[in-house]
Amino acid sequence: MATSPNYGWLEPDNTDLVKNGALAIRTLGNAIDTTMATMTPKSTVTTKGDLVAATAASTPARLAVGNNGETLVADSSTSTGLRYQGNFAAGKNKIINGDFSVWQRGTSFTSYAGGYTSDRWTGTLDTSSAAVSRQTFTPGTAPVAGYEGQFFMRFTRGTGGTFCNVQQRIEDVRTFAGQTVTLSFWAKASASCTIEPYYIQSFGSGGSGDVSASFGTSTTLTTSWVRYSYTVAIPSVAGKTIGTSSYLAILTARITSGTNVDVDIWGVQVEAGSVATAFQTATGTIQGELAACQRYYWRAGGEAAYQRYGTGFAGNTTRVLFTFSPNQTMRTAPSSLDYSTICLYDGVTIIAATNVAIQTGTKACTELVVDVASGLTQFRPYEIMANNSTSSYLGLSAEL
Amino acid sequence: MEKVTYIEIESLEGVQEHAIIDRGNGEYTSMLKSTYKAQQAEQSTPILSDESKTK
Repeated sequence: MATSPNYGWLEPDNTDLVKNGALAIRTLGNAIDTTMATMTPKSTVTTKGDLVAATAASTPARLAVGNNGETLVADSSTSTGLRYQGNFAAGKNKIINGDFSVWQRGTSFTSYAGGYTSDRWTGTLDTSSAAVSRQTFTPGTAPVAGYEGQFFMRFTRGTGGTFCNVQQRIEDVRTFAGQTVTLSFWAKASASCTIEPYYIQSFGSGGSGDVSASFGTSTTLTTSWVRYSYTVAIPSVAGKTIGTSSYLAILTARITSGTNVDVDIWGVQVEAGSVATAFQTATGTIQGELAACQRYYWRAGGEAAYQRYGTGFAGNTTRVLFTFSPNQTMRTAPSSLDYSTICLYDGVTIIAATNVAIQTGTKACTELVVDVASGLTQFRPYEIMANNSTSSYLGLSAEL
Repeated sequence: MEKVTYIEIESLEGVQEHAIIDRGNGEYTSMLKSTYKAQQAEQSTPILSDESKTK
């Protein structure tokens, strides 16, 4: 008798004279049956993308395919030792403060055309009847499992005008140039409202003209949180001239129809590829996200009635020079300064400031001038601080 | 309504004119006058240069 080359089943040799064919066939059939019993039937996998994984030695089982964008990781707590999970890697999302956790400038804005609201977020609109405010999730009600957001943005459009949007300008027009990207976010609206996201490649001062287009899909929002995603190919920058302060603007909640409506938005993400993966902030950490925001805007204040900002000296009887170094290197030398309720203090007397301005500055260090009506002693050192108010602040802007 | 005043600041770099913008409620923003004028010009044509392309 011979044996089969792979499983060693007994079978007649080519030259054998078979005396008991039935027995030979039965022996071979039983051997095949025994072997097949050790194999995984194809019915184990039922769905496109399913895998076969072991739950123990010689014990295969179906591992159902994960959701789009998920990756497979080892996990000894599961029956197969494997688990699909969302891609939470930091750095994939180019939107900073996509979870609206940072609001250095305040939490309510009744008019913001061209100005910034929640950190890194601005908007364009042709009506003054619009507002932005910070809203708080009731714990456990954030729209996505695995990421318990604290705040979301409410964008209110009243009446008048023909367009309004909230947008983020991602530094450097080279970002995603020539790549397919996917924008995703959760949104809901208080009333009927249609949005159509857009992008703008701005080549900066001295650069080529803007390139812009729709993500190609209009969405009618509902009153419940829903995650929406939009995929588009961002054009190459080949042949373009890139000037200073270029950016890629992503217009998210760009309302194309609907008035007197509140649009709530959270979890904004823009990533390479054609699949919206699990939401993650740009940096993946609280401190990282704040630092990322502070590259563009840095504010101190609001912590104590006489909060100190630093020390300077009087150049004359009405002006103090004050070197001010934010703890974050900024995108450029700050171009503007926000302030409120500032005073000077020499250890005895408090003198309210009348003006504060940037005299000169770099990305890492800015010299401010603090003016008062009168009463300073030339060359005397002064503390610059809040004037008995927790509403006091100093803020430097290097926004796009 | 914003109120804007202008002040001159002399430094090693020379004399520069700054805008002090009163935003109400004791809140102010200051910047170079040239920067302020540029921003005003942009807002008077509502980023509109941006948005007009979205029509």
